[in-house]
Amino acid sequence: MVNLLPVATTVLAALLSIEPFHIGGSAVLTPAFTLMATYHWTIYRPDLLPALILFLVGMVQDLLSGGPPGVTAVTLLLARAIILIHRRHFVDRQFPFVWAGFTVLAGGATFFLWALHSLLAADFLDLRGPVFRGVLTIAVFPIATFLLGRSQRALLGAG
Amino acid sequence: MLIRISPARRAAIERLSLPLLVVISMLLIIVGKADQIAVQSLRYSVMDAAAPALDMLSRPAAALNATADRVRRFVAVYRDNARLAEENERLLGWQQLALRLSAENAELRELSKLVSEPTTSFVTTRVIADSGGAYARSLMVNAGRDSGVTRGQAAITGEGLVGRVSDVGSRAARILLITDLNSRVPVIVETTRQRAILTGDNTARPILRYADAGAVAHIGDRLVTSGQGGVFPPGLPVGVVASVDSEGARVEPYAALSRVDYLRIVDYGLADALPGPVSIAARGIKRAEAGTGGPPLRR
Repeated sequence: MVNLLPVATTVLAALLSIEPFHIGGSAVLTPAFTLMATYHWTIYRPDLLPALILFLVGMVQDLLSGGPPGVTAVTLLLARAIILIHRRHFVDRQFPFVWAGFTVLAGGATFFLWALHSLLAADFLDLRGPVFRGVLTIAVFPIATFLLGRSQRALLGAG
Repeated sequence: MLIRISPARRAAIERLSLPLLVVISMLLIIVGKADQIAVQSLRYSVMDAAAPALDMLSRPAAALNATADRVRRFVAVYRDNARLAEENERLLGWQQLALRLSAENAELRELSKLVSEPTTSFVTTRVIADSGGAYARSLMVNAGRDSGVTRGQAAITGEGLVGRVSDVGSRAARILLITDLNSRVPVIVETTRQRAILTGDNTARPILRYADAGAVAHIGDRLVTSGQGGVFPPGLPVGVVASVDSEGARVEPYAALSRVDYLRIVDYGLADALPGPVSIAARGIKRAEAGTGGPPLRR
């Protein structure tokens, strides 16, 4: 049962991404929580967060957020593919190294999403919002991975 | 997931499923782009299925928002009080004027036997999700077809226009905000009656595009819906011109779009005007009919 933790937290991350928070008064952008969960679990327990789950979570998030369906799914799946290739460099490494890895991934995802959305809109979309969201995502990552790591150690053991 | 599979087989499944799912996602993107009807029913079922969960999850968010709001107001109470007292003074003057005009209006209507405007009804709904992304501006609310919400109805707050209903499930609906990339709202400048289209581009301030080339926007110009295209009724307050540069005029919406918790979905009896999403075959013809108020009109 506790093996469902990665799936549960990733689903929660997807729902949090579309929660109507606006504490600051103008916070329209939500960090990409789903990408954080994907990165964390694909590094530490890729066996517990299979590609099929990422596909389904991405699809549901797209359908609920009103975006073009498949865009988040393909981003998460490509992120998984890239992380799996470099995974052994990140397991049991110092946090700054893991964060740097996420920064590269989030930067790549930001640009990929922008290119894909621009292609779908047949227009060069404004890059400021996406870049801001990318920076926000990278900044929030330490908190997210700390919480995920704590729950992982508490429920799954060292893994 | 808990089924025991040998590591070798698991690796084989992984090697195969990942590229396969990537290809499926790509195909879905293309299908979703080409044929909106194919995706629509799927979208509605997912919206309806997730609505209760989102409704529940959005309550702590709403409580948090309300608390933050209360703290902010508490801090500003002295300044706000002074401002409100002054504003009240001014509004009392306007009230007198409004009462006089309304009496005069009633008399003139009586004299000219003007056909009264169709009555409107509305549903008040709570926002349970927003798109949260950098590529779309929309909200999800906890009322749908069951409450009489239909596509094309206007969503407003007390301050002004928020957007229009773009998708309806049985108990949830999506509101496309006037700041979204796909939003086009026919408006007129209140004083000069010049016609323009308010064009969303995913930023907080949509761009104003004038219908006639000679028209110039001025900072402070008030915009209301023109009623053209038949999607919105005429006269709904939309926003005010906030900046003018070489790119065009930028409009600050009256409604605080980033802080909407509740909004009203209003039925003006115009809902039939909005054509449904079209399949690829019918697109050419339907688009020509759709005019300015239709569904996503990007190439």
